[in-house]
Amino acid sequence: MTVTLANPLREGLRLARTPEPACLVIFGASGDLTARKLVPALYNLALQHLLPASFAVIGSARRHMSADTFRAELHDAVAEFSRTRPINEEVWATFARAIDYVPTPDDSSYDQLRQVLARVDRDIGASGNRLFYLATPPAAYEPIIRAIGAHGLRGEGGWSRVVVEKPYGHDLQSAMRLTSVVQEVFREDEVFRIDHYLGKETVQNILVLRFANSIFEPIWTRQYVDHVQITAAESIGIEERAGYYDSSGAMRDIVQNHLLQLLALVGMEPPAAFDDRSVRDEKVKVLRALRRIPQDEVGALTVRGQYGPGFIGGERVPGYRKEPGVAPESQTDTFVALKCFIDNWRWEGTPFYVRTGKRLPKRSTEIAIRFRVAPHRIFTRKASEGLEANELVIRIQPDEGISLTFGAKVPIQGLRIRSVNMDFGYGESFMVDAPDSYETLILDALRGDATLFTRRDEVEQQWAFVDPILAGWHEGRPELASYAAGMWGPEQADALIARDGRTWRRP
Amino acid sequence: MATAVTVVDEAFWGTTATSIDALERELARLRRAAVAHAMERGQTLARASVLNLVVYAEREAQARRAARTVADLALRHPSRAIVLLADRDREGVVASVQLHCHVPQSGGGQPVLYEQILARVRGDFDERVASVVIPLLVPDLPVFLWWTGTPPSDARHLDDLATLADRFIVDSADFARADLTLPEVAQLARHRMGITDLNWARLTPWRELIAQFFDVPIWRPFLGGITGIRAGFAVDMDGHDIRNSQALLVLGWLASRLGWRPVEALAPAEAGGLLFRMQRADGAAVMVRLRPRFERGLDTGDVSGVRIQARVGSDTAEFVIKRAPDQRHATATAIVSGVVRAERVVPLPALGIRELLGEELAIAGNDHVYEAALAALMALA
Repeated sequence: MTVTLANPLREGLRLARTPEPACLVIFGASGDLTARKLVPALYNLALQHLLPASFAVIGSARRHMSADTFRAELHDAVAEFSRTRPINEEVWATFARAIDYVPTPDDSSYDQLRQVLARVDRDIGASGNRLFYLATPPAAYEPIIRAIGAHGLRGEGGWSRVVVEKPYGHDLQSAMRLTSVVQEVFREDEVFRIDHYLGKETVQNILVLRFANSIFEPIWTRQYVDHVQITAAESIGIEERAGYYDSSGAMRDIVQNHLLQLLALVGMEPPAAFDDRSVRDEKVKVLRALRRIPQDEVGALTVRGQYGPGFIGGERVPGYRKEPGVAPESQTDTFVALKCFIDNWRWEGTPFYVRTGKRLPKRSTEIAIRFRVAPHRIFTRKASEGLEANELVIRIQPDEGISLTFGAKVPIQGLRIRSVNMDFGYGESFMVDAPDSYETLILDALRGDATLFTRRDEVEQQWAFVDPILAGWHEGRPELASYAAGMWGPEQADALIARDGRTWRRP
Repeated sequence: MATAVTVVDEAFWGTTATSIDALERELARLRRAAVAHAMERGQTLARASVLNLVVYAEREAQARRAARTVADLALRHPSRAIVLLADRDREGVVASVQLHCHVPQSGGGQPVLYEQILARVRGDFDERVASVVIPLLVPDLPVFLWWTGTPPSDARHLDDLATLADRFIVDSADFARADLTLPEVAQLARHRMGITDLNWARLTPWRELIAQFFDVPIWRPFLGGITGIRAGFAVDMDGHDIRNSQALLVLGWLASRLGWRPVEALAPAEAGGLLFRMQRADGAAVMVRLRPRFERGLDTGDVSGVRIQARVGSDTAEFVIKRAPDQRHATATAIVSGVVRAERVVPLPALGIRELLGEELAIAGNDHVYEAALAALMALA
């Protein structure tokens, strides 16, 4: 093969680098994630001309079914879950031609998969490039990875990469063990651990806001910031995920991955470059500086809650323990609030309050930077009654955008000051449909760009922070508090922040 | 200010104002009213301007069409639009400036504030036009100048407006003799502003699809071995309306990216077609044929298909992109040594002017690739 130079026709086009021809192998192909997220994302990439000119998808799962049945199921899934509708049948038809299915009910069936991969590879000229996607329940990760190694599923000549879905382990020890199994077959730079929050446009925009502007960074320190609040509120319950959720809870499901990622992006130092190594190095540094909560302080610095019956949007909803599939005496946390500190020069003494919960009044993910009040008060108390400290709010979902509150004079005779809002909304300013985070992440994995994926040491730092809290909870500290569905969590959460003379924002 | 003779449709263009100050006062009043109206419905209304858009038109129909596009576009790029309607060179017309403004209400969804001003300048337009535009521009925001029709090659009013602009937008699909007028567009670069040709924007999906063939490492060597290019472009049924600017831009793009030099223009077999012999960097010849074809459902001038033939050693290859008869899709096929190696159908809808402009407005810098394509075409002319 001739040595290939850069493609001169690429210049000036949207993607400076597109994925090379490749085979995508999805394990867990008969599952929910494949139907709801992965295949709709692939189809939308095809619609936008973003997939390579030759590309194939091979689904695999325990279930026996024909490739035709598999394609038909995916067709219906795309028709139902794609962000663009209705389904474009012409595009689907040629896309579906490149989809195959190989059942892997037992170890020996992986040989069959290897043969199919070799054939497809030859047909489409993928030069051995393979992306393995683990979309199975976590218990299947290890056997599948071992089978990839044992049956020689890695291609020859090209690259092989593996995408691992969350949850990545259920504590530090299991995460480290999973990593050691993964590394029997893949090098660390071939491992793409997904945290789909990182694929969201607004999350990437935290870095743009902080590091492409010169006005925010100088005040992004303990001198100017009073505290930071990170909220991920969901109004839904656990839907059909009781089996998984009841054994994990909000701490493992949301805090360990998504919220600690947001915290890292807000708290990190400026990276030297926007590439996978620089960005992730900085994230790891800040996670390492995140003060561990010792077991004897867990009672004071954390709140765990579980929702009881209540109302959401006027509808009566059952309590967590009455949800189908949940044990009637379940101790699982559906709400978490934490107060934590980053022990470094920039953030010394600045509290970060973090909370997440299910069955809260509305769906909202946001980061609020609360600044200190003006150092010297020149206006009378009466004049500045309605004035609050400046606040910068990064809204991640829904209504993505950024707003800044500041004081302004009320335009009447005499002096009254009130807080007003300066608002930037993505929707209004760009009016484009943001791509789904899975589109961004699958494309990045195909291109080998790991910036938006979680590195081994990041995952380990996250678990190292979460493990002692879970251990404290295991000892019964603090007590599991209950809250009515449709309220902003248990009153202990309000008390946690009220002790410092502060209050939670109402998102 | 002199009174206007002809009546402008106030229902469309909004209230009249007697001076620029009065116009600004009126806009402020309209903004407040819109905010109050939104608040009554429990919505908030932000004045999120991202750019000034100046539209130059010489006929009211053009101005209206542009205004409608701009209003649609405002949902994506909130802006202040200044539509200049120029009644130029009309003898006996009293020189006058007529101003109208309104704040259109967007229907449904997120309300966005968008301001539209019509400045109808009559009589000796050329000298006074910039003095009308300058005070109306929102400070610190980029100025985009959209020129409907063919830009004149040497004209004071264009020069004056161009000095204000950061970006100049034309649509070379409207050019009758593109082989002669496209080089004029290249000349506009002297104003040191970015140039956007909507017809170039129409080619973006074509460029993406062509480039993708050569993203495949085993096919990339064929880029250096191209022997022939054929491109079809749509004409009307009688074959009279020849607008070859899009097909020429495809050629200019390939030639500039791959370092081809023009050798000679040959007489084409069919009327309205173009036939060139070009030379690759290694000296081998590339035959280029641009053919007019009648295609139902395609706008005149739109490219209907591109076929790239190549040979490397004893291997031959053909890369073909062809619009499907439904005119909403294209088939991209790679044939290597006579065997179809990849074939797929991709969406290729005809983009409306709104999508094109919206896409281009998202890019703020200069498009060097377009300028290089124009330069390659100048060498051909």
